[in-house]
Order: sequence, then structure tokens, then C-alpha cells
Amino acid sequence: MRDGQAPMVRMESIVKRRGQADSGFELRVPELRVDTGEVVALIGESGCGKSTLLDLIALILAPTSAVQFRLHLAGEGAGQDLAALWARGDEGALAALRREALGYIPQTGGLLSFLSVRENIRLPCRIKGVSLADRELETLAKRLGVAECLDRKPHALSIGQRQRVAILRAIAHGPRLLLADEPTAALDKPRARAVLADMNALACQQHLAVVVVTHDLDLLAEHVDRAYTFDLERLSESETRSTCRALDDAKRVIA
Amino acid sequence: MKTHRSGHARLVPALAAAHLRHDWILTLCLVIALTAVIAPLLVLLGLKHGTIETLRERLVEDPVYRELRPTQTQPYSEDWFAQVAAWPGVAFLTPTILPLSSVVQVVRADETTSLFDLIPTAAGDPFLLENGAPVPGENEVVLTAEAARLSGVAVGDRLGVRVSRTRGGRSENVQAELKVVGVLPIGAGTLTRIYAPLAFVLDVESYKEGYAAARRGWPGDTPDPYPSFDGVVLLLDEPLSPIVRTGAIIQTGFARIGEITRDQAEALLGLPIPQRLHAYDLSTPNTPITQSNIRAIQTKLRGREPLLLPYVRDLELIGADGRPWRPAGLSVDAAQAARLDLPPVPWGGFQARRERAEELTSVLWPTDAEANADSGVGSDMGLDSNPDADTRQGADDGIVVTSPGRTELSFVLRSLGPSPVSEPLAPIELLGILRTAQDRAVAYVASSGRFEMQRAGYRGFRLYAASLDDVPRLYRRLREQGLEVDAAIEAIERIQALDGGATRLFWLIALLGLCGGTAVLVASLYAAVDRLRAELGIIRLLGLSRAHVAFFPIVEGLMIAALSLAVSFGAYGALATVINRSFANELAPDERFCALPASLIAPIVLTTLLLACLAALVAAWRSTNIDPSEVVRAD
Repeated sequence: MRDGQAPMVRMESIVKRRGQADSGFELRVPELRVDTGEVVALIGESGCGKSTLLDLIALILAPTSAVQFRLHLAGEGAGQDLAALWARGDEGALAALRREALGYIPQTGGLLSFLSVRENIRLPCRIKGVSLADRELETLAKRLGVAECLDRKPHALSIGQRQRVAILRAIAHGPRLLLADEPTAALDKPRARAVLADMNALACQQHLAVVVVTHDLDLLAEHVDRAYTFDLERLSESETRSTCRALDDAKRVIA
Repeated sequence: MKTHRSGHARLVPALAAAHLRHDWILTLCLVIALTAVIAPLLVLLGLKHGTIETLRERLVEDPVYRELRPTQTQPYSEDWFAQVAAWPGVAFLTPTILPLSSVVQVVRADETTSLFDLIPTAAGDPFLLENGAPVPGENEVVLTAEAARLSGVAVGDRLGVRVSRTRGGRSENVQAELKVVGVLPIGAGTLTRIYAPLAFVLDVESYKEGYAAARRGWPGDTPDPYPSFDGVVLLLDEPLSPIVRTGAIIQTGFARIGEITRDQAEALLGLPIPQRLHAYDLSTPNTPITQSNIRAIQTKLRGREPLLLPYVRDLELIGADGRPWRPAGLSVDAAQAARLDLPPVPWGGFQARRERAEELTSVLWPTDAEANADSGVGSDMGLDSNPDADTRQGADDGIVVTSPGRTELSFVLRSLGPSPVSEPLAPIELLGILRTAQDRAVAYVASSGRFEMQRAGYRGFRLYAASLDDVPRLYRRLREQGLEVDAAIEAIERIQALDGGATRLFWLIALLGLCGGTAVLVASLYAAVDRLRAELGIIRLLGLSRAHVAFFPIVEGLMIAALSLAVSFGAYGALATVINRSFANELAPDERFCALPASLIAPIVLTTLLLACLAALVAAWRSTNIDPSEVVRAD
């Protein structure tokens, strides 16, 4: 495909159903794309399926059905047919894509308690099989203001510090796509703003595409290139359907 | 991604190790829990091996328990020994002789003596070797502890032994100096015994029986058999008065003298007796008459010109055709023959030992077939039924006969001419020797044409089975041969049952312990995985597959097991040292109460690790079910 035109992530008519017999939730994604270098926001109330959509993109949740689900990395020809990989259940290939191309910032940091901060940051590099020079790590840590806690265990860190370390860990191995699940939910606004600013600065610097889940769009309105929201329908007492829809002008909506 | 596989193979153990280090209190608890299972099992195994093996080696592997002893003395042939020695499961077999023939006097430094049993031994004797003594060579002996104590000698000393016998009413003895090359421990028995090579024992036996042992310079007889008789017919020209008659046999070894009729005398001798002679029968019930008895009576009756003709009753020879016949025996010089109205016999008068051996195996064959019939045994005379009898009796190849006796004798009689009487006539010494051969083992040596006394022969054996398990089989096999043998069958079965019971008990406890240990691991690892759900989910999220994550609890299980093994072996080592020290008084220097054989260490380690792996499988399965999308989000 032609460079610049093929979206990094392309989803068409993807359905994810989850739930038990008595209560069902169905997420429909008629169309979604993430281009290289873009910051895409998934906005909605809790329970609308925005985290589900993020996990689909993060390749840790299998779509129930998908017409088109592709991941296209620069210089990689036709890209990966993720729908086919999921259909095949190719666990290894999906895991490989996760470690090669994705960086994920969980809601609560998701640091491994038994590794030091430094080891946590290095872990994706070790999994990917690339090296990260100490100096580079320390430079990044300095930028995010966590240089002094590199040799501590995560439990000795404040929540803000943990989130910063999580961001550092998510980008240390040079992913192409950064996924963030309400990374600032546990922080107060000024702090959250600062963390998000840092995240965006790093993503921008490394030309990463970013997909960020938030219910608080104004925190990052200034950075967002594209936004999706969700329309909830109550089909019956137990059935809920959420349809993903692009917001035409995210910045305007916030304003 | 394939290129990172090996990286992941190292990464997962590194993560697992980091987790164990981080959660060190939990790790310590797990290691203590597993050590609490493994260490006692190691000590138990060590005790089982140490104690039971020590007992086993002391009792079960004591060669005494592998011995099969004959309970009766009876003759055994060389062939029997060759045969039995080749049986599977026979580790050692040596002949023994009559117990009475194997007693020697040990002469102490102060010239006092005491009687010791002499036991034959040979190369490979497990009783000596397993009791730490060498097998004695020529002129060497091994003593039991009691024998060494009583004789006051130690290894390296010389032991003086005296072998004594009574010959011709005189006591004789010889001495030998033997080197003591070994003393058995007290545990090997409390009897006063001397173990010596079989050759020496046989020499002692020979000497005691009156023979020479030329090899040792011990004097004695050559092994010529002596003739013995059932009685003597005394022929006199004048009858004896009753008083003279009674006095005549005093101190001659004869118990009875009785006047007999001519017919009775002829029946005893198988010879015609001239009417002018008076016949008396001299005999001793149940006792053979020998040359010395005959000499004695001859001396007593000097002057009366006694004619003393020994006789043998009921002696039969078997011809080549299998028919029995009875010879008459007579050895007289020409003058005596004349008194009997008989022609001289070619072999002359009575000689207990004849220089010319062939004189003994001579016969005069009757030509008169009628006479044979008259004798009442004619039809049984073997040659009579042969139409060529006349030609054969003159032939040089002689007459092949067999004498049934203690040992069957086959030899060839040379026919020297016609018999002057109705019976085949042979030297009376031949008949006497054949009579002796009915009680004693006599052999006919064809090459020299001589009869020889056989040695008393082997009357028993010392047999050791290769292992305990061979004992019952050999026991049955010997019993099948009709031999009465004694073996520690019951003791063996008891000890084997004890050993089997102890082994079963150990495995039962081990099984219980292993179950407990495995359960501890299963539960702990499962709980660890459950606690680590979120973190394992993150690891998956970061790009490890299910398989890699499943590896995590397995590696942890192996690490915990390895740590526990290290601690357990340390604990075992400390405890074993304490146990062995505290029982040191009751143990021989190389014995240990608690000992783990090195060969068992690898199996123990492998089994433990394998069980840890198996225990971790449940947790591994659990870890593969972790869905990263469920755990990355704190609810």
C-alpha cells in the first residue's frame, strides 16, 4: 500500500459480544482507523465499551466477528490480517505483534511488583529482544521525572510516578502504536494534565500513533487528532448494544 | 519472533527467580514446607539403608546363612563334587572328611595340647574371605577366634599341630608347623577350628588311618588291603582235650573254638578233608579274623603241627555273563598240601602281602563238569554254561569277574591250570581281600594289578550358595538327590520378610510424604499463580504467549524444589552425622547407621524435580487461562 495512505489500524464492521446468557453486551465498530502519528481518543461513559475497543486494538481481546481488521506498520508491505490471526487462534503471532509494535499503558500502571522500576522499564525490551542503553533509559526517566526512583520497587512509588513509569515502559522498546487506558484516572487534574502532556510529547517525538481511552476529553483536547464516541442502545432488559461513532470535530465538541 | 524464543526461555526463569526473591518470605515458607517433607524422608531412607543394610550385611550376607550343611556323613564321589560345583547358584564347594579323622592336637608353647577340628578349605572360600581372612595356602592355616585364643597365637605366628594314631597297639604321632595367615573374627563362630587346605586335611586323614604321607615325610603303611576272614578251620592229627582247647584261644582274638565234623569243615572250606584229621572251627562273632589272629593261634599250638585254613563265607563272584559263582580258597605250601592229600598250589603258602601281585589274581579252574554240578553251584559258575569253557580257562586273557562289595571290583583272574577240587580254587588271600572289600573301600588298580585300600573318601561337603535367593533352590535340589541337608531356610525367609517389610514400610511413608510434598507444591504454586494473575496478565500483554507464561509456575516449582533439596541434603548430612556419632560405639569402623548410597542421590533429585514439575502443571494450566484483558484493569 502506498505510504501515508494506508491506516496503521483499520477496523471495519467489527463486533465484540461479551456477557452471559441473561445479560449481553455487544460492541459494534462499523469503521475505525488510526493513522501513523495520530492521537485518537475513545470517549464515552463507563460501560460504553471503550476499554473493550482498546483491548481489541491491543490484540488481547478476540473480536467476535470482523470484516476487516488490519494492522499496517511502515515498511511492512500488505500489513497483518489480524482478523485472520484471531480466526486461526495464532497466539504466537499475536503475542509477537504485541511485543514488536504495541505499547500499552494500563489504567493502574500494571507494573510488575517483583521487579524494580528499571527492570520494569527494560522488560518489554527484553521480551522484544532489543537492548536499551542505561543512558537512554535514564534520559527518558529524567524527562518524566522518575530518574531517582529507577532502583525502587513499584510499591515504593506514588501513583503519579507509577503512571509515568508505565508510560516509560510502554514506549521504551520503540513501539509503533501506543495504547493508553485512562492513564490519568487516578490522578488529580493538574497532575493528570502534566502526565498526558509528557506522554504526548514522547509520542510526538517518536512518531507514535496513540489511542487513548478517556472519559475526560478536555484533559487532552489540545492533542487529539481524531475522536470516537459510543452510542448506547438498550435493546431489552438484559441486552445492551454500543456502536462506535466518529466525532466529526472533537475539539469543537469539547469546546 | 522465533529469534526471541531462546531469549524468552531465559527470561521466564529470570522473572520467576525475581519473583521468588521478591516474595522471599513466601519462598522461604515453601522451602521450609518442602524441606520438612524431604529431609525426614532422606533421613528415613538413610536409616533404612544404613540400619537395614548393616543388619542385612551382618546377618543376611553372613556366609553362614548361605551355607548348606549335610546332616549325615555319607560317601560322596569326585564326580558328585564336579557335578554339584557346576550347579547354578553354587558359589563354593569343597569336600570334607569324617569328623573323627579331622581332629588334630595343637601344641602350645608350654607343650600342653588340646584337640582342634580341622576344616578343609580351598580358593574362593566365602566363609574365610567374607570374614576378612585369606584362604590358606600350603602349610598355612586360618584359625577361628577361639582357636587362636586357646592356642595363644596370632596372625604371622607358627602353629604346631600333632597328628596321632594307634597302629598295631602302639601310639604314634607326627608334628607339623603351620603358618597362621588369618584369624577369623569372633562373629564368625565360637568353635575351635583350624581351616587348612584340603590336601593337608587328607594327609592327616591318611596318617590317622595308618598310611604314610610321603609328601610330608610321615611314615606309615602303603595302602595294601589286608585280608580278613570269617573264621579259621583248625586241622590237627590229634584231637585237643577240652582244657587245651579252651586255653588255646586265650589272647588270640578268637572267641570261640568248636569241634566240627569233616562235612562241616568241607562245607566251610569247599575242600575235601582227609579222614584222619580232626577239625575245629575258630571264630569271633561279628568280628573279622586277620593275619595277627592266625599267627597268635599258630604260636599257641606250636608243636601240635596245626593246619590253619582261614575261610570266607558266602563270597560270590560274578562272571562276565552275569552269573554268580563261589570260589574255594586255599594257600598252603607243598608240605601242607600233602597233609591235605592235595597237589601243591602254584601260589604257595599264606602271605598277607604278596610281592608278586599277579599271584593273588590266580585261579585253578575245575575241569570236571560233574564236580561242578555236585558242588551245587555248578550251573551258576558262569563258564560252565559256555561251551568254550575248556578253551577259555586255558586262554591267556583270563577270566573277567566282578566282586560285589562296598565298591564293586572288576578284575581278571589268570587260570593257572585245573582245579584239584570240585570248586574253582583261588588263593585264600584273594578271598580275604574281597571280604575286606565288603566293609572297606578297596580298589583294583588294573595297571599294577594290585588291590589298594581306598581312602575313607569324602564324607561330607561345605557348600555355599552364591546368594540368599539360591539357598532354597539348592536346598530342594540336594534333597531331591536324597541328601539330608540343613540350611538356614527359615532364618533367611524371616530376614527377607523383615527386609521386605521394612522396604514396604519405607515406601509407604515415602509415598505419604511425597503426596504431602506434592500437595504443598500444588496448592502453593496454584495460589502463587492466582496472586500473580494480574502480573502474569501484564507479561502476556507485553508480548509473551500463553506457553511462556505457563512455564512461569513450572520454573518456580523447580526452583523451590531445588532449594528444598539443597536444604534437605544439608539437614540430612547434619542429622546423619549426629546419628552415626551417637551410635559409633555399636558400629564397626566402616559401618554407618544412617547412610544414603550415592547411587540414590540422582534418582531422589530427579524424582523430586519431576514431582515439582507435575505439581506445577496445575498452576501452569491455571496460568494459561489468564486473560490479559480481564486483569489489566483494576475493577
